[in-house]
Amino acid sequence: MDPVHASILPEVPGEKTKIGTSLVDTAAATIQSFGPTKQIHQHLCAFHFYADDMTRQVEAHHYCGHLNEDMRQCLIYDRPDADARLIGLEYIVTEELFLTLPDTEKPMWHSHEYEVKSGVLFLPGVPGPVERKDLEKVAKTYGKTIHFWQVDRGDELPLGLPQVMMALTRDGQLYPSLAKDVESRYGVSFEKERANRAYMEGPTHGIHPKANAAGIGLKTVLREIECKPSVQSESVPRVFV
Amino acid sequence: MASSDKAPDSMPVGDGSVPPGKPMTMGHQVVDKTAQMLQTLKPIKQMSQHVCTFAVYGHDMSRQIETHHYITRLNQDFLQCAVYDSDEPTARLIGVEYIVSDRILDTLPPDEQKLWHSHDHEVTSGMWMNPGVPEMNQRSELENMAHTYGKFWCTWQVDRGDKLPLGAPALMMSPQMVNMSVIKPELVRERDRKFKISTDEARKSRVNFPVSKPGNARVADYWMHTGKSFAVDIEQVEMKDLGGQKIPSI
Repeated sequence: MDPVHASILPEVPGEKTKIGTSLVDTAAATIQSFGPTKQIHQHLCAFHFYADDMTRQVEAHHYCGHLNEDMRQCLIYDRPDADARLIGLEYIVTEELFLTLPDTEKPMWHSHEYEVKSGVLFLPGVPGPVERKDLEKVAKTYGKTIHFWQVDRGDELPLGLPQVMMALTRDGQLYPSLAKDVESRYGVSFEKERANRAYMEGPTHGIHPKANAAGIGLKTVLREIECKPSVQSESVPRVFV
Repeated sequence: MASSDKAPDSMPVGDGSVPPGKPMTMGHQVVDKTAQMLQTLKPIKQMSQHVCTFAVYGHDMSRQIETHHYITRLNQDFLQCAVYDSDEPTARLIGVEYIVSDRILDTLPPDEQKLWHSHDHEVTSGMWMNPGVPEMNQRSELENMAHTYGKFWCTWQVDRGDKLPLGAPALMMSPQMVNMSVIKPELVRERDRKFKISTDEARKSRVNFPVSKPGNARVADYWMHTGKSFAVDIEQVEMKDLGGQKIPSI
C-alpha cells in the first residue's frame, strides 16, 4: 500500500465538541499550570517504520523537551496541526546513556546518525545554521519509539497493541513519494541538507551492533495472566476511608 | 526479549538521578530557545486540562501510581493524554492514555475492549481531580468523564526504580472499589496534601453523578469479570523488508 499523508485519513469518530464543553476546557487551561508540557520546546519531523515491517512507513512529528543535557522526551503526532492525533512517544538519549542500557534493552533503541546526516530529519521553520547546532548533537543519539495509533492502516481510533518503531539507517529505505511529499510541504531539500551536514559525526564509538534490533524484527505480543495479587485473596472489598 | 511484567536487567547505579545525565549547557539552552521562538508547536498548545489521578499496573495491582494527565480534547467523544509522573518541569513522560465515551467504546470489538478501563469509580470517588480548578467549574466536564473509558500504556516504570524507560509497555488499570485496585489511603493523603485538595469532599459532591450504564456485551475492566489481566512481550521475528524478501531472524 502506498503511504498517504495523515490529513486525508478518516476523522476520529465522535460528535463535534459542544460549546459548553469547550468553554469549560478553556477556562481550566487559563488557571492551571502546565509544568511538564511547558518544557516542550522543539518540533522535529522525521520518519519511522514498524519494527517488524519496513514497508509501513510513517511521517512523525516529534514535540520534544529536555529532561537534562543527555535526555529528551518527545510526544509524537501524525501532523503539526491543532487537531493532530497523538500517535506515540520517543525517548532520546546520548551515546553515553545508551551504553549504560542492559544488552537486552539496546535492540529496542535505534540510531539517529543516518536520519540526521541524510537530511530527512529536520526542524520545520528553523533556519539551517540554528537547526544544525542541535542536529549535530542528535546525530550521536539513540531513540526508543513506541507508537500506539496505527494511522497508516486507516485506524480511526488507537486500536491494538503498542508498536515498537525503528528509524532509517541507510539510503534506499525511505519511499520516494513520502520524501517528496514532505519536501514540498515544508519547502526543504533533503539533498541540499545532506551536503550541509556532511561535517557531522555519528556516535563516537560507532553505531552499537545491538542497536536497531541488530537488523532483525521486533513485535509486541499480548499475554493473558492471572491477576496479581490474586483477586480471590480478599472476599470483602476494602473500604476506602 | 522484554516483558512488561518482568524486571529489566540491571543498569549502573550512577548518582541515583532519574534519568541520569548532565544539566543542560547554556549553549544548548540558547539553541533550544531560538528554535522555540520560530516554531508554533500547535498540537501542544491544544492541551487544555491538567488532571491528577491514580492508576494501577494491570500485571501487578499492588503497584499504584499518582499520574498527571495533560489532556487534549479532539471531539465530544475523544480525548488524548500525555501522562507524566508529576506536575513539575522535571516530570518524566511515563505514557499515553486515550479516553473515549461509552458510546464509542460500545462500537469496539471485544478483543479491543479488554484493553480499556472504566472511569466512573475513578471520577465519583474523587480520585480524578483538576488541581487549581474549583470543583463547581469542572462539574459538567466531570460528569462527562464519569461516562468514559480509558486505554493507558505506561512506557517508563519509574516506580520500579527504572532510571530510563526500559522494557515493554505496560497496560494500566483504573482505581476501582474492589480488592487491590482500591488506592492506598496514604497515596491519596499525600496527593491531597501536595495540592491542597480534598478527595473526600470531591467524592461527597459527586455522589449523584449519573454513571455509565453498561452496554450488553461490554468487556472493559476485563480483570474484574475474569480475574485475568495482561502483560506485553517484545519478541524477535522476521522483519518484512522492502524487497518483499524476509530477512531471517537470528
